[in-house]
Amino acid sequence: MNKPSHIVKSYEEQLKLLEETIIKMGTKAEEQLSMSIDAFAKKDLELARKIIAEDEVIDAYENSIEHQVVNLIALRQPMGIDLRETVTALKISSDLERIGDLSKNIAKKTMLINKNLSVNLINSFNLLGNKVKKQLKSVIDSYLERSKNFAKNVWESDEQADILTNQCMEDVIKYLKEDEQNLQNGAQLLFIAKNLERIGDHTTNIAEQVYFLVTGEYLEGDRPKNTESEML
Amino acid sequence: MINEKIKISTKNLNVFYGSKQALFDISINLVQNKVTALIGPSGCGKSTFIRCLNRMNDVIDICKVEGSIKIDGDEINKKDLDVNLIREKVGMVFQKPNPFPKSIYDNIAYGPRIHGLAENREDLDNIVEHSLKKAALWDEVKDRLTQPGTGLSGGQQQRLCIARTISINPDVILMDEPCSALDPIATAKIEELIDELKEIYTIVIVTHSMSQAARVSQDTGFFHLGKILEFNSTEKIFKNPDNKLTQDYITGRFG
Repeated sequence: MNKPSHIVKSYEEQLKLLEETIIKMGTKAEEQLSMSIDAFAKKDLELARKIIAEDEVIDAYENSIEHQVVNLIALRQPMGIDLRETVTALKISSDLERIGDLSKNIAKKTMLINKNLSVNLINSFNLLGNKVKKQLKSVIDSYLERSKNFAKNVWESDEQADILTNQCMEDVIKYLKEDEQNLQNGAQLLFIAKNLERIGDHTTNIAEQVYFLVTGEYLEGDRPKNTESEML
Repeated sequence: MINEKIKISTKNLNVFYGSKQALFDISINLVQNKVTALIGPSGCGKSTFIRCLNRMNDVIDICKVEGSIKIDGDEINKKDLDVNLIREKVGMVFQKPNPFPKSIYDNIAYGPRIHGLAENREDLDNIVEHSLKKAALWDEVKDRLTQPGTGLSGGQQQRLCIARTISINPDVILMDEPCSALDPIATAKIEELIDELKEIYTIVIVTHSMSQAARVSQDTGFFHLGKILEFNSTEKIFKNPDNKLTQDYITGRFG
């Protein structure tokens, strides 16, 4: 349903501001994730520090969204599409905040890795990292475009992220077996893989919200999942 | 849903004021013991519609009502019917409280008296007390039943009118913007009352307040230019309406 403007302009502006804040927050989360993947691959400690410092930007967006949503509910009593805009903004912002946190954690773990890693291992992480990065970008696009199909694609494609996570885990285990000295780094690597997988999960949560926002209906049924990575 | 009984059913209801058509082919079912809210912009026909349900439009000479209106399966839109019997069954509460210029007691006792519902004074006392209690007004007025009803506050007057409606023991209560002249506390009391009364009665409420429709009703009908554009569960209407115009109306985007 395309929608004409509100009769009350200030209400229209508030809804627009909420949407813009989500998009800014999403863009920032994408940036943080992207930097954390780079920082890991290049072992760039300065970049890692920057990611850790900038997480507060994402937290500030989350606060702002929560504040806006509570005000909209209290003062405007949104209905129909406006209600869905308001409620999904709150939920999406909390997923984005988690994505920010997990990216920060990847940066922290990166700083604890004290040895150069093999190209193979880094490639394996890059594959996973780029996959979830792409998912995050797609899901933000689906929000921007109000596209239920984009959202559903993200929701369905997370299975591939699970498969890539398993591959990463296997590679890390191989690395651990090579040398007892690798234990310290290997533990960090397992955390990083797990964090990336979690980020993928959060993108599917956002996809569910976008789907509800657009259709008013919930994505039904079980998401296609590769559950092996959950055993770890 | 199971165990839902249709209380009122209209089919191809068309209403004309002279040559102007006010309602077009209204076919809806109102479920027993539910509150149905009717919403829509001014002049859309919602008041005209509820006035059909107790034949109130009969008093307007130029008004012509065509089509079927069934209550409990019995057709009420036919000539040879005693409208008093319908109005006994279908009570009405209006926008502005309109108590009779009589005592609080007589405001309630009037209906049962003329309908012969009380055998003696004790019967009548019981009906008055019962009706005032049902309308959540008894505690506030029990010590001043002989004082004029018009001396009560607006919210109390409206509950007095609801008590007056209840006193003749109707099946259906029609409410035409019953809270639009009331403050939020009086409104909340009426809404709480509506919630309780639906256990016994079938209620149809016309309201301009979207949030009130959302709060009190289980079903909602959206009227526009004399047609019913959407009739759905209240939850559906306010979360995800099917009709684009419904959405524009409830969200305040009506062009």
